[in-house]
Parts: sequence; C-alpha cells; structure tokens
Amino acid sequence: MTKPFRPPATALRRLFLGGAAVVLLYVLLAPLSSTDAGQQLGLPFLTDRLWFRVATTVAMFVVLASAWNIIGGLTGYASFGNVAFFGLGAYTTGVLVSLRQWPFVLALLLAPVVPALFALVIGVPLLRLHGHYFAVASLGVGVAVGEVVNNLQPLGASTGLFLPIVRSNLLFFYLMLAAAALAVLVTWVILHTRFGYGLLAIRENEEAAAVIGVNTTFYKVAALMIAAALTGLAGGIFAQWNTFINQENVFPIEYNVEMILMAVLGGAGTLLGPVAGAVTLELVILRLAGGGAAAAYSQIGLGVLLAVTVIFLPRGVIDFFGGQSRLSLGALRRSLRETSV
Amino acid sequence: MSQLAVRGVSKRFGGVAALTEVTFSVEPGEIFGIIGPNGAGKTTLLNCISGLYGTDAGEIRWEDRSVAGLPAHRIARLGIGRTFQIVRPFGSMTVRENAATGALFGQPSGRLQPRQALAYADTVLDLVGLAAKRDYPVRRLTVPDRKRLEVARALAMRPRLLLLDEVMAGLNPVEIEQALDMVRQVNRQGVTIVLIEHVMRVIVGVCTRALVLNFGRPLTEGKPEVVLRDPRVIEAYLGERYARGTNTEEGPPPAPNG
Amino acid sequence: MSQLLQQLVLGLLLGGVYVSVALGFSLVWGILNIVNLAHGAFVIIGAYVTWVLFSRLGVDPFLSLPVDAVVLFALGYGLQRGLINRVIRAPLLFTFLLTFGINLVIVSLLLLIFSPDFRSVTPSYSGSGLSLGSVTIPYIGLARLGVAMLLALVLWFVLNRTRIGAGIQAVGADRDAAQLVGIDLRHVYALTFAIGAAFAGVAGGLIGLQQSITPTAGDPFTLQSFAVVILGGLGRVSATIAGGLLFGLIQVLGLNAPGLGAGYSNAIAFAVLVVVLAFRPQGLLGRLA
Repeated sequence: MTKPFRPPATALRRLFLGGAAVVLLYVLLAPLSSTDAGQQLGLPFLTDRLWFRVATTVAMFVVLASAWNIIGGLTGYASFGNVAFFGLGAYTTGVLVSLRQWPFVLALLLAPVVPALFALVIGVPLLRLHGHYFAVASLGVGVAVGEVVNNLQPLGASTGLFLPIVRSNLLFFYLMLAAAALAVLVTWVILHTRFGYGLLAIRENEEAAAVIGVNTTFYKVAALMIAAALTGLAGGIFAQWNTFINQENVFPIEYNVEMILMAVLGGAGTLLGPVAGAVTLELVILRLAGGGAAAAYSQIGLGVLLAVTVIFLPRGVIDFFGGQSRLSLGALRRSLRETSV
Repeated sequence: MSQLAVRGVSKRFGGVAALTEVTFSVEPGEIFGIIGPNGAGKTTLLNCISGLYGTDAGEIRWEDRSVAGLPAHRIARLGIGRTFQIVRPFGSMTVRENAATGALFGQPSGRLQPRQALAYADTVLDLVGLAAKRDYPVRRLTVPDRKRLEVARALAMRPRLLLLDEVMAGLNPVEIEQALDMVRQVNRQGVTIVLIEHVMRVIVGVCTRALVLNFGRPLTEGKPEVVLRDPRVIEAYLGERYARGTNTEEGPPPAPNG
Repeated sequence: MSQLLQQLVLGLLLGGVYVSVALGFSLVWGILNIVNLAHGAFVIIGAYVTWVLFSRLGVDPFLSLPVDAVVLFALGYGLQRGLINRVIRAPLLFTFLLTFGINLVIVSLLLLIFSPDFRSVTPSYSGSGLSLGSVTIPYIGLARLGVAMLLALVLWFVLNRTRIGAGIQAVGADRDAAQLVGIDLRHVYALTFAIGAAFAGVAGGLIGLQQSITPTAGDPFTLQSFAVVILGGLGRVSATIAGGLLFGLIQVLGLNAPGLGAGYSNAIAFAVLVVVLAFRPQGLLGRLA
C-alpha cells in the first residue's frame, strides 16, 4: 500500500511559527513602553511615531488581505474592487463623526455594517458573473463607488472630510491590531466549520457544489459580506486615525491589487498566508516609498514584484488556485491544529 | 404513485430542441436506464431533473411534489443525488473530505457538522471500496477510483434517488463488473437509480426498465431486452440497414460491400 | 433640439475614438482570452509618441500614426513573448495581476520621463469644423472617425483575408488543435498581442488631439474598452464598432444629463457594464464568450 501524502517539513514550520510568535509578542508589548506607566518603570522608548505608523499600516493590510482571502482565496471569486468596502467604511465613520458629531466608538460600530449591506445589494448580481466578467465588474465597482462618493456634495465631495483630531498612537495601533486578530479569527472559524467546506466546494467546482446541496448564491454573498465588513472596519479605524479622508486616500485603486498580491504571495486560501504576505509586502512597499522620486519608483517596484510573483510562484500556490495542491483541507487543518491556541 | 414522474418535458437551447415532450416515470426501488445515441439529450434530461437547467415546458414531480424550476441545491436536499459524466471532484480536498461534503450539505434530514460528516463519509467510502485511500489527495486517484469517489459523494447525501451519468464509460470489463455490483448493492439499500449508459451489458444486466431517447424525443420504453430488439432503436443507433436485418428471422444482415 | 443633434453628432464622433481604442482590446480578449489591464497604458504611449513627434519635430499627428503602430507593435510583441506567455495557462487571476503590474510599470516610467504635466497636440486645423445649420462637426472628430473605420477595416481584412489572420483565428478557436496543425503558438500569441497593442497606439495618437494627455490618463480607457466590448459583444469587428459608437453616444448624453458631470465618466462606464451583463451578457452583436 502506498504511503499517504505527507505534510511539509514540520521542523521548518515550527521555526517559522516560533519566530512569528516572538515578533507578535514584541509587537504587542513594545508600545506599552511609551505609556506613562511604562515611563514610570523606567523603560526605554521602544517605539516612536514612525514605528506606530508602520505597525498600524501593516496591521491594516493584514485585515485587508485576510478579508480578501475570504472571497478571493477561499471562495475563488477574485474580487478586484474590495477597496470600495474600505472607502465605504471610512466614509461611514467619517460622516457620522464629522457631520453628525457621533462619538468615534459608536461610529466605528457602523463601519462594518454599511459596506456589508452594500455587498449584499451588489453581490447578488455581481457574483452571478465568472472569470473575467466578475473580475472587471468588481474592478468597476471599486472605481465607480469612489467616483460617486467624490461627487456627493453632502459628503464633502472632492474636498474630503475632516475628523476631530484624536492623538493616540497607542489607541489606533491596538484597534487595528484587534481588527487584524478578528480577521484571522473569522478566517479560522470559517475554515473549521461547514461554511468553509461550502466555500471551498464552490471554489473547486461550483456546479458540483450546487448538486450536493450547497446554496451557492447564499454562500458567495455571505462570504462577500464578511469580507466587506472586515474591510470596512479597517476603513473606519483609518478614518479617525488619519483624521482626513477623501476619494484619493480611501478609494485608492492600488489597494485592490496590493491586497490580492499579499494574499496570493503568502498563500491564498490559507489561514496565515495573507498575514505573512501583508506583513512582508507592506514593509517592502513602505521601504520603497521612502525614496526620492518616491511614488513612481515604488509603483515600478510593485509592478515588478507583481510580475515576478505571478510568473515565478512555486507550482504549489498556482496549483492551489487550480485545485490540485498539497494544501488540502486536511493538511490545512493539520497545520491549523499546530498554530491555533 | 410513481416516485419520479417526468411529463412532457421540453428544453431548447437557442434554435436547438434538446428535449421534446419527454415522458416517463420511475417506481421506488427501480433501476431505470436511459439510453440513446450521442446527442440524444440524456445528460440534458439529467440536468433538468437535478435542477442545473430549467425546463421550457412540462413538469417533473419527485415524491409527489413539483421540482421543475427549483434551484439545484433545493432538489439535492429533497433526496436526489447525481454524478457527472466527466467527474468533478473537489481538487483541494482529500478523498474523505470530498465524500464528507455530500453528507454535510445534501442530507435531507438535517445539517451535519464536519466531524459527523467525516465519520459518515467513512461508511460510504467502505461501500464503494475507497476506504484504504481515504486520505489521498484527489489527484492521486485513478479514473475508476475518481468515479467511485463521485458516487460516494452522492451517496453521502443519503439520496433516495441517484442519477448516474455514464458511470461505466472508460472502464474495463472487470471494473464494469465491480461497478455493477456497487450499483446493485446501493439499490438493495433502497435507493432508486436512474442511469445513463452506453454499455448495453449494463442496461441488460441491471435495469428493470429503460427509456430510449433519440434527438431529444422519447423513442420507446420498456424492459431492456425488449427495447434493445426494437427495430426503431437499432435504426437510431446503427442505421436503417441493420434495422431491416433484425426484422427477419435470419439475424443480422451480411456485412455491407462497396 | 439642435442641442440634442449636436450631442448626437459629438457622441458618434466620440464613438469613433472608442472604436479605435477598443479594437485592439477586443482582439486580445477574443483570441487570447486576456483582459489586458495595460491596454490604457499602450494607448497613452501612442499619445506620447505622437506628441513628441509633433512638438519636437513638427510632424502632423495623422502622419505619426504609423510610427505609433510600429512602436507599440514591437513593445507588445516583446511583452507577450517575454512575460505574458508564461502565465497564459495559469488561472485568469494571474494574467490580470501581470497586466496590472505592466500597467503600473509603464505609467510610472512615463511619469518619470514626461512628468505629470498635461500635454496636448494642437495642430493648426484644431478648432475648425463643418457647419451644418446649427450643428458643428469638428474636422478632427470626423478624421478620427474615419481613421477608426479604417482601422476596423484593416483588422477585419487581416483576420479574414490573410494567412496570418487565419492562424490567429485558429489559435483563438482551439489552441491545442492549432498547435497540432503546426502553428507556432508562442509566435502567434505574441503577434496577436502586438497587433492589439499597435491598434491601441494608433488610437492613442488620435487621443492627444481631443484631450490633454498625462501618464495616468490611460487608465479610464481600459475600463471603457471593457464596457465597449461588453456592450457590443466579443468575437467580431462589427460588434466592436457597434459597441464603440453606442458607448460614445451614451457617454455624451450621460455626461450632459442634468445632475451628472465629467467626474462620472467611470461610473457611467460601469453602469453600462452592469446593465448589459445583467440583461444581455452577449452584448449587441456578439456570441457569449
């Protein structure tokens, strides 16, 4: 009898996960050094404003990439317009705080809701499409929503919205980190339940999924709504953190591709792939942005990275999209068992 | 009351009439065959019954309720399972997980949790003979094994009706015998079976009755031995000359010359 | 009333632009099954080539069109043969990401070379037009429509009356079968993409006459080309013509409608897309892709 398939080297994975745990611990605790309590204990400043900016942005992309992974990686509907949800979440919070004087926390609670409702409305017709049609239609959504918002006078139109300044690096960092943890947790729950099997079945073969009893429309739309809610939450946090929002900074088209690239680079359809991809890629992007002819060079870098990733991705990840990979649900769950608390 | 009643079903694709006025019924516990030359509309008929296609006319009643027009997943949950002619496994899952999806989503009596579904999958895999390969990724399976998996996944739904689309295609005689045994065993457990086949041995060997389709129309229906001798059926498959030959007492005509 | 007529005329003329822009896009999509997200960038490169020739060497824009074609042909061939061919058999997502990346690189390079400043091509005959009663038909608009129809004719001719066109259609119909009869897939793929790019370049040369160009001005053309192809249908030159002209009309009428304005052009393109996909996915004249 031939041996069943073996999962990848556990020693290497343990090393990786160990390192990640150390980094995570540092990231969680280091900010406390800049609090008053920390100062009183005589701790050195382990973090500064730049550190917080980078860390919060990285956490934000972890949310975006993980959220995209739910609709793109798990369900197989690679949406090119998720930035619409980000912007809608940002504007929900922005409008409520800036124009209606709601307290931030309350406004933030609605940040996932509006994009999710939008996903419900747009999802039913949109998810009927496949392949190219779906991809470009979703891209169109991403672009169009930004344009419409940009033209709406009551929302500040092209001038944008200003929110009252809340100075707290700590608050926004931990908020965004919590959102990232939530995104990963949601993905974990999905992968361990019936819902996850349904999404994977849809991805692998939608007609077969239908004839075994999966309500494909419901599942697809639900996946999109979950992705929208998480993405919108990140947008809401961003709005207050940045204290200024307009079409350009909450509906940037590049975000669409960046979140896809992060998920794909790390491993679309896996639990921690988007996290790894987001951390790596965003650090690279921020590094590239530091240069001189900044924007142009970083865009070139991103474009080259896209090309390299897409062409040289190890057969394994491409196979994953094609449905023949070694990342079977079984191996996935085996590794999940090793990485979960 | 027939378990499955198809009455006057028609289906067009643009200008092509794929099915015209197809009528037949299946009794509980039967093994009902559907045969006909290529392009006769057999798979289209299955797609209509299982809900992947809508019908343009006619009705389909399953256990005395009308199912034409229901979405595929609703029909699945009413107890109808099906396989595809070209198998469609879920590539990124193992054999066991594939079978489990049938149990997870298709069982009429309720929603299983993954753990229960995986356990049920084991029993089904035993039935089709894939127990030893439970943890294999799908791509390591041979073609006959993939067909077994396709059937297992459908069986895991606890269907009362199983639609099999050319399950025997591409199997060698030994594998056909094994598949026939599996079909009989499934039927003995109370599952009504409708199968599309080209392999006549299967039709004669296992079907209680058979329907012949030609160009989307029903040609005749009845016991396999009778149906297969019907000159109209022979003409549909082999052409007029052979049909004329079997009308006489002498057997098939001599080989054509020139 | 005459305002409406004027808008109809402008709409048709604008349609000519869309036809010329979408021809190459439709070819590449129909044959290679590639939705080229860098298509707009190809258009803008053509615009810049024409601008450089016009502003530095005084070459009439219409005369520089062949140069645009040659430059983009070479670029397109190289890109397809060198890069895109490598992901052709991978899932659609990958060609998308790759062409998006190519778009990023091209636009950024243009930003570095030409800066974001707006440029335009204004030959001496720019403003004038034909007057029919209260309706003015700009000469340039007419010339652009003429060039667009000429391009369509050329494409139709190449695809249907030449040997290489037969090869391209064969590859589009069944790439494995085409290989079996001896067609060099990599070359034909690259050739098809190159032709598509060349057409984009010519369309770009015309663009500079009607609007100011800047490196990022190409992006809307990609989405609009997509809408044109969806509207008209995939698979036939006549479908692209129909789609382009109709889309031009919709854009002009839509932008002049009360309540909307220039900022809504992408939203209009998208709305057209959604409506067509919802109600008639094969478009006006196409077959389902």
